[in-house]
Amino acid sequence: MVIDFSSYYDLPRNMDSFFEELWKPSSLSQRRVAYPPVNISESEGEIIVTSEIPGMDTGDIELTLNEKSLIIRGAKKNEVGNYYRQERPTGSFQRIVNLNVPVQADGIKATMKDGLLRVVLPKARESRPLTISIDAQ
Amino acid sequence: MTNDLEKKTTPALPRFRPNTDVLEREDGFHIFVDMPGVGKDGLSIDLRENELEVRGRAVYPREENAKALHVEFGDGEYVRTFTISDGVDREGIRATLKKGLLELFLPKAARLKPRRIEIQAG
Repeated sequence: MVIDFSSYYDLPRNMDSFFEELWKPSSLSQRRVAYPPVNISESEGEIIVTSEIPGMDTGDIELTLNEKSLIIRGAKKNEVGNYYRQERPTGSFQRIVNLNVPVQADGIKATMKDGLLRVVLPKARESRPLTISIDAQ
Repeated sequence: MTNDLEKKTTPALPRFRPNTDVLEREDGFHIFVDMPGVGKDGLSIDLRENELEVRGRAVYPREENAKALHVEFGDGEYVRTFTISDGVDREGIRATLKKGLLELFLPKAARLKPRRIEIQAG
């Protein structure tokens, strides 16, 4: 006797998709909460901020460094024509990335490739020896 | 089942439906597809009968010796299919990928292009 469960009860595939769900990084559920999406990572000497901003000229993106934050700002233009479907975000956007460590403002490097902005912020050398001069009065 | 699980050790990239604009201009249809992180090597465009399928793989290099503090995006595969009407000149479809934005240009077939009809003085 052959019992074919396949149409009712696709257990192997259900199990597989269940495991697939488990593999997925849960952090990705945060996707598309704010525009543009930002990833932040930290190494010993640097803070690396990456952001997906497709279709933008580097000149149209403004990066500002404040005392405690990096601001990514810009505006996406509408295309000319008769829209049938519009899903790509347009208009101005801004993301503020708080930096919990002081960074060296003159050593910041920003590059853009395939719509990915990558900003490398070297941490300020906290261990830099400070000599304090004493004024004789 | 066990074999299937072994295969999963290199998990497939999560799939995303990329944000897309479709618009018409006088010369034809322009489709803009957001594909950040996709280079020319990771992109494939296939036209099968009436279906135009666009696939792009975005795989970002790992940051060496760095730990992720905050993650909002990651590697992925963008997949999107468009159905094309007969009014499109298939031979003339062009695609350009620039700054993570794919632009597809689908020219209108010659018979559908607006054209001025000369009036012959009789």
